[in-house]
Amino acid sequence: MVSALTHTHKREAQLAVTLGALAMKNPLTVASGTFAAGREYAELWRETLKQGAIEQQEFSQEILDTKDKPLSLLGAVTTKGVSLKPWPGNPGVRVAETASGLLNSIGLQNPGVEAFCSGDLLWLASQEVPVIVNVSGHAANEYHAVIARLEQESTPSAYELNISCPNVDCGNMSFGTNPRDAERVTRVCREATVRPLIVKLTPNVTDITEIARACEAGGADALSLINTVAGMAIDVRGRKPVFDRVVAGLSGPAIKPIALYAVHRVSGAVSLPLIGMGGIATAEDVVEFLLAGATAVAVGTQNFRDPLAIPRLLKDLKVWCHTQGVTDIHELIGGLR
Amino acid sequence: MAPFLEAVVVRKNDEIAPDISCVLLEAPRVAQCLEPGQFVHLLLPTFDAHILRRPFSVFATDAAGGLIEIVYQRLGEGTRFLAELQRGASLDLIGPLGQGWRAGANTRNALLVAGGIGIAPLNMLAAQLLTSARVCLITGAQSAERIVSLRLPSSVASATTKTGESRLTVITTTDDGSTGIKGLVTDVTGELLAQQDFDYLATCGPEPMQRIVAAHALAAGVTCEVSLERRMACGIGACLSCAVLTRDGTRRACVDGPVFNAEEVLW
Ligand SMILES: Cc1cc2nc3c(=O)[nH]c(=O)nc-3n(C[C@H](O)[C@H](O)[C@H](O)COP(=O)(O)OP(=O)(O)OC[C@H]3O[C@@H](n4cnc5c(N)ncnc54)[C@H](O)[C@@H]3O)c2cc1C
Ligand SMILES: Cc1cc2nc3c(=O)[nH]c(=O)nc-3n(C[C@H](O)[C@H](O)[C@H](O)COP(=O)(O)O)c2cc1C
Ligand code: FES
Repeated sequence: MVSALTHTHKREAQLAVTLGALAMKNPLTVASGTFAAGREYAELWRETLKQGAIEQQEFSQEILDTKDKPLSLLGAVTTKGVSLKPWPGNPGVRVAETASGLLNSIGLQNPGVEAFCSGDLLWLASQEVPVIVNVSGHAANEYHAVIARLEQESTPSAYELNISCPNVDCGNMSFGTNPRDAERVTRVCREATVRPLIVKLTPNVTDITEIARACEAGGADALSLINTVAGMAIDVRGRKPVFDRVVAGLSGPAIKPIALYAVHRVSGAVSLPLIGMGGIATAEDVVEFLLAGATAVAVGTQNFRDPLAIPRLLKDLKVWCHTQGVTDIHELIGGLR
Repeated sequence: MAPFLEAVVVRKNDEIAPDISCVLLEAPRVAQCLEPGQFVHLLLPTFDAHILRRPFSVFATDAAGGLIEIVYQRLGEGTRFLAELQRGASLDLIGPLGQGWRAGANTRNALLVAGGIGIAPLNMLAAQLLTSARVCLITGAQSAERIVSLRLPSSVASATTKTGESRLTVITTTDDGSTGIKGLVTDVTGELLAQQDFDYLATCGPEPMQRIVAAHALAAGVTCEVSLERRMACGIGACLSCAVLTRDGTRRACVDGPVFNAEEVLW
């Protein structure tokens, strides 16, 4: 099949976007925790091409163009959450499928910032792609300490604060559910870095715009939304919750309408650029998030279903722009008529 | 071998026992390189509200014919849906996945213990071991009709020892006594370990069963490997949904396993 783009290469839409000082060559990143640091996916993309194990697809070119640095086809990689000390993650069942969705209770398992710096971050340094490091903590000073350690490294391009973690200073409610806490943790981290600071919002609040404004006041450069939606599952035979902690986080296509509406509302409430996420599975989903007001988007759960989702979406997005006569992605951002 | 995505086609899909089916897939590339104990992560077509793939061990491969065979039990919607796929249906899979059995080439006398559908990852191992070792298989199920037999290449099925005995011994147990010994595989394992000099034990089946088998093996001083099942999202090591607690910390069943040395597992 002849690519719709090969002979019209010059008319390929301009896809580059910026989130504060973070420059991305296209609006695609991955949702924290669904992609680790990208090593497994990069290897799978490479091996799939080498084996020729799927029908020659147009997106193969996207991977080939990266010259053996497959992750560089992304606008940025977003890492799994990193905390000050190693976190063991949750016991018991960690994932369960629901209608068009996935419940997870991974519990932010990670080896701690020190091991991260000498492991994944070191590897990412050679991958020629901007790196957004997702940061977790139980208290504002923990977030600060993680960023202070990462400041000694040259690889991080930006930080994304996951403020959905339980806040030990505040009765284990998450920072992200209280505007005062959200503003304070943002401000504390702002003092630690001049790199772009992204705060990731939870949808599990009464009014997400209130939290968004608090993060803006605290000095955030961008916001990402949404984190998973709180939910649970029940094992009817055992008459007990499927997850040891009862609550789990819902992701996937089931939450897309919730995420879109959150992006739409927050984009009207703050003047910060947004990374939209929640259930993105197709190029049209990406366009929906851009129209709702997101400057960039993250793909999460879809990677599990289709490990080649990223190169496929990138190609499909280019084709979509081409067939719709879009010459610059900015025409779509916040472009609801 | 790094895992890859392969488009595959159903060649055959038949019920072989009540609620147990066997699907033969044209998967020419994975068929070349999949090792005993490894698995594939299947995406079922037109099953869109079910967003996760389903992991399955490979029962047998035919590298020359480019085929892999999966024996599966119908449990929930995914496996019921899989059972309806007809010849010619196309789907895709990620493979080869995981750490398979590490039985060394110097294994002389192996004991394999299968509980129910746990026979699935042990068939390829039996075929591999029988080229040079003696193998005793204890296989158990609820009743005679639910016992899944080994399917071995004819060259290894007929392999004999120097004294002319078959290298393969199969002991069957059933809950209802409809064939073989009435009881559980775990009832037989300890006794057999005491009688014979095994140098390797591999087991797969319900986790409580594997745990008992592993305890027998450790007590007898026999190296034991177990194959653990966890719910899996990515299948390639990226999401940490398949945690197994080991002496070495939390490991991932999809890449560090599914086969683990029993001594390392914190049950
Ligand atoms: C490495 C590995 C190898 C396996 N090999 C075989 C095999 O050879 N033959 C066989 O019959 N079964 C095998 N299984 C189990 C098989 O994956 C599940 O039975 C199947 O996913 C159930 O899907 P379902 O939609 O029918 O059931 P559901 O209705 O979704 O669930 C039924 C049960 O299956 C389990 N399950 C559901 N989704 C998953 C998942 N993504 N990963 C793991 N377990 C899940 C759950 O514990 C659940 O209780 C294996 C599992 C693993 C992890
Ligand atoms: C398995 C899994 C692990 C996740 N881990 C993290 C994490 O470490 N930090 C974080 O901020 N969000 C985490 N998330 C949330 C995602 O980044 C994302 O916000 C959410 O899943 C919605 O996007 P999706 O529907 O495309 O998956 C995780 C989600 C999943 C499914
Ligand atoms: S299933 Fe994702 S890490 Fe094992």
